[in-house]
Amino acid sequence: DRSSGTRVSDTELRVYKDPSKGELPLLPEEHVQDSAKDVTYICPFIGPVRGSLSVTNYRLFFRCTDREPVFGLDLPLGVLSRVEKIGAATSRGDVSYGLACKDMRNLRFVHKEPEDSLKKSVFEVLMKFAFPVSNNMSLFAFEYKQVFPENGWKVYDPLAEYKRQGLPNESWRISKVNDHYELCDSYPAALVVPVTITDEELRRVSSFRAKGRIPVLSWIHPESQAAVVRASQPMVGQNGRRCKEDEKLLQAIMDANAQSHKMFIFDARPSVNAAANKMKGGGYESEDAYQNAELVFLDIHNIHVMRESLRKLKEVVYPNIEDSHWLSNLESTHWLEHIKLILAGALRIADKVESGKTSVVVHCSDGWDRTPQLTSLALIMLDSHYRTIRGFQILLEKEWLSFGHRFQQRVGHGDKNHTDADRSPIFLQFIDCVWQMTRQFPAAFEFNEYFLITILDHLYSCLFGTFLCNSEQQRLKEEVPKHTVSLWSFVNSQLEEFVNPLYVGYPSHVLFPTVGIRHLQLWVTYYIRWNPRMRPQEPVHQRYKELLAKRAELQKRVEELQREAANRTASSSSERAGSPTRSITPVQTFV
Amino acid sequence: VCVKKRKKQKFRTFSMHVLTLYMVKVYVSSSEIVVNEANFVRKCIGAESCQDDLWGKLVCTNFKVSFIAHNSLPRQCTHRLLGEHDIPLACVEQVVTVNDVKGKQKILGSNQKLKFNPTELILYCKDFRIIRFRFDEAGPESAKKVCLAIAHYSHPADPQLLFGFEYVGKRYHGSTASHSNMVNGVDPGGGLQTPLFDCSSDWDREIKRTGASEWRVCTINQGYFISPSLPEFFVVPVSLADQDLKQYACCFYSQRIPLWCWNHSSGSALVRMSNISDPQQQRKVEQRISSAITKSHPLRSDVFKSDLDKNLPNIQDIQAALLKLRQICVIDSFEESEEKWLSSLESSRWMEYVRTFLRHAVEVVYMLESRHVSVILLEKEDRDLSCVISCLVQLMCDPHCRSLHSFQGLIQKEWVMAGHRFLDRCNHLKRNDKEESPVFLLFLDCVWQLWNQYPAAFEFTEVYLTVLGDSMWVPVFSTFLFNCPRQRAEHSRDFASSKSIHLGQDQALCFPPVWDWSQQFSLKDQTLFNNPLYVGKIATCVQNGTVKTFTHRRSKVSC
Repeated sequence: DRSSGTRVSDTELRVYKDPSKGELPLLPEEHVQDSAKDVTYICPFIGPVRGSLSVTNYRLFFRCTDREPVFGLDLPLGVLSRVEKIGAATSRGDVSYGLACKDMRNLRFVHKEPEDSLKKSVFEVLMKFAFPVSNNMSLFAFEYKQVFPENGWKVYDPLAEYKRQGLPNESWRISKVNDHYELCDSYPAALVVPVTITDEELRRVSSFRAKGRIPVLSWIHPESQAAVVRASQPMVGQNGRRCKEDEKLLQAIMDANAQSHKMFIFDARPSVNAAANKMKGGGYESEDAYQNAELVFLDIHNIHVMRESLRKLKEVVYPNIEDSHWLSNLESTHWLEHIKLILAGALRIADKVESGKTSVVVHCSDGWDRTPQLTSLALIMLDSHYRTIRGFQILLEKEWLSFGHRFQQRVGHGDKNHTDADRSPIFLQFIDCVWQMTRQFPAAFEFNEYFLITILDHLYSCLFGTFLCNSEQQRLKEEVPKHTVSLWSFVNSQLEEFVNPLYVGYPSHVLFPTVGIRHLQLWVTYYIRWNPRMRPQEPVHQRYKELLAKRAELQKRVEELQREAANRTASSSSERAGSPTRSITPVQTFV
Repeated sequence: VCVKKRKKQKFRTFSMHVLTLYMVKVYVSSSEIVVNEANFVRKCIGAESCQDDLWGKLVCTNFKVSFIAHNSLPRQCTHRLLGEHDIPLACVEQVVTVNDVKGKQKILGSNQKLKFNPTELILYCKDFRIIRFRFDEAGPESAKKVCLAIAHYSHPADPQLLFGFEYVGKRYHGSTASHSNMVNGVDPGGGLQTPLFDCSSDWDREIKRTGASEWRVCTINQGYFISPSLPEFFVVPVSLADQDLKQYACCFYSQRIPLWCWNHSSGSALVRMSNISDPQQQRKVEQRISSAITKSHPLRSDVFKSDLDKNLPNIQDIQAALLKLRQICVIDSFEESEEKWLSSLESSRWMEYVRTFLRHAVEVVYMLESRHVSVILLEKEDRDLSCVISCLVQLMCDPHCRSLHSFQGLIQKEWVMAGHRFLDRCNHLKRNDKEESPVFLLFLDCVWQLWNQYPAAFEFTEVYLTVLGDSMWVPVFSTFLFNCPRQRAEHSRDFASSKSIHLGQDQALCFPPVWDWSQQFSLKDQTLFNNPLYVGKIATCVQNGTVKTFTHRRSKVSC
């Protein structure tokens, strides 16, 4: 179904059984900008492939013409991080172009320069449309006008989510102090704070916390009332500045939980980095100023280290893998070690909240990278609601989008400045951690792997408005919900694609994953999916759907039988009133 | 002192309870005898602290080392032969006694003396467990005795001292022949759907199933008169007469006439063969065998010889890799090895060997399937590497083999009947370490890798593979106790006559095969063997009329 065919292919080289279907699929408002015949794609796996290349305002589409079955490349321009000419033209006038992608692959094409020097090459057109922001154009998400049965922008309603958690209550209130984003422009409008702290005091606290990101509640334990609170670093500086309102706020957070007379402050950074931040006016809470609070450093490195680690990982996995040193090469990227530290940090937070019944405050430097990684993973461990498809969407909308993870900056949507030091795969790491948990608890998550990959693909695609901008305020200003489609509209309109057939949904289970490096795996089906030799050998996705259908069928049958059994009891008891009632064995379902 | 006192008090409160527990504890069968025991033993659970340690009684029987915890209620045991804290003696690799006051340590063998009173007993197990018991509160003499008993009984001097003999022998006692077929309350052969390949009809069926019409069942080894390590029935090309085979037999290592394993649907055959020991005859015999195999091919295709000794690691390499793997998995400190885990894993070479075997099998598949030639797997003795490769080839090509019962049949055919030396490779008698090698475990690992790459292609699960691997160390199954069918026959006959067991209609003691899973697990637990993703034999094998192959495969090296 091509009309709603917004699905980004998860295979690089799609095999078109029927060549007529190899035609360029076009989305609403998608238009061909340029196309060229006689382009050669230098495929690292099967060698050079000749074909035609089309560039639209949304995608790059390459279709090979010289071999059967017909191969194609179909990728959204949003995944491109760099397009460059490699070397000078050859004597035959051939020019090489290299395309570096955000999704772990590089593409190379060879193309003859147009003889008419005034005519633009298809790659020059590509460069323009791949980086619309740098060229003062709008992202395709603002053009795309697909209508879906469900409006994904309505998935997250902060007040409804807080209500689900039982908020406000006698200890916590919902403050409107940030209604116009005046207290903190990277925070959401609705903030949950202790009732004993006034808005005026919150304003004072905001001047003491980096970027005004004050400690506010993310989640509250339904029984113990232990809270997960997030913030940015305190502006302690070299002189050890203090702020009595901030101290009062943290005391109030601790007091809101009657179960514990202690609290933990988790600083995501390595202690050395946290100390170094004092030179720049930042720092961490001293235990003198915050009595009864214990400070723990989680040793997670900053965005630059993570970016470098992913770069190394790409080097190791793309295009070819050195079999004989695969494991040691993987080790040298430290990618899994970073994943481990993040998961281990989240585990400690979840453990303190669940087992210790203690409230926790989590922060890093600005509180918008490592902090959402930690809080959202801890929340997934603690609250089964976030392991459902819709609950996970709410979690992303809340912890990542509304609390201002800088998606625009970290991903660099439509921006040609590929060396920008603000880019970093923070969100990718989070999704990787979630994937690791789905491996360890295969029946605890309602969504499947394809759901996670779809989210990552649309993190870069710029087809949906969901991951655009840096904050809630910016999204409102740009009227993103009004002018773009939400990724959740697309996802929730075809949920059957994303459901895990093994899902059982333990409603009150807390998941404590094992975080040792021995239990972590490289997410091969994401990071190495372009390598045809590493692709899953069997279409498990299809099998999942069959299982779901089978389950639905069995469930229906159980209901029928239960009805039938109920009717029989009803009729037999009315017919033979007075006779001993037969006990009906309940039909057990394992679905 | 104060702490100790409190602990002792705890014993007293529990001791009554222990007694009752002990009374209700039922041993495997009347064939199991308690040899020695010590009370007030502490089983160490955590590595750093002793807060989770358990107190109880350490018991050594002729089957297992058992620990009966004082303060835990009897759990519903999921295993029918072993409790939560039990270790079969065959699973014990090394018995180490320690006296930490005197700083002494001794590895105990059979019939040895111990000059110090042990404060600690460490059992290193074949299944990678390391179990520690402390004797701080136990009587020094009883601690010493139980350690010596464990060391002695875990080193049986003779195969017939392996528990399986007692276990099976007991059922012939004191009951009429008609009732005697129950082992542990279960009929060993009853309803078993797995072909054992110990009769010619199983082979006939396999010939028919694979369409190998130019191959026949050969019966010249009945009574094991030709080759000591071959089964009584096996399959050969129709063009080779019994007379010829008898003549060629003496040229081969241990008189092992080449064995047919399987036919590809194209008619190409997979054959396994040992080295020809007589160099003068080599060319001639090789040629005769090859031409007979060619004649059995519908296209009269050539024969490709695949030299396994040359291309694959040998059994010592495999054993060395496993020891390194164990070192990094359980012996090295977890914390320290964490950072270097992947590179240590790589340097153990275990994964590399798994990959080498899989890759070699893929090459053989390619010859059979794309080149349409028959393949001879050549190995000096034809009893180790060939077992792995022939099974992997069949698993890759033949969806039939991926169902649970056929997979078991496959192991029966290519390992048990073909004479893989399970007794020596498992080193059940702990006599010759040089012969010990985890070839079968390596095979299971290869299957696990395939299973991971094709999660819907196999009827069984990871749990099944794990349990199958563990069963090697439960010494009651015919599958893993012997080096070859003849050895099984001889030992069971001798044991029966030495114990004056009347076998009735049986020719020899009937050991249950491991495939009789009811020996170990309830039917409910056995449902864990079923893979919910399995799509069935037909659906996976044929796609658009072609058999799906695995030629573009890279061993997914994940951990």
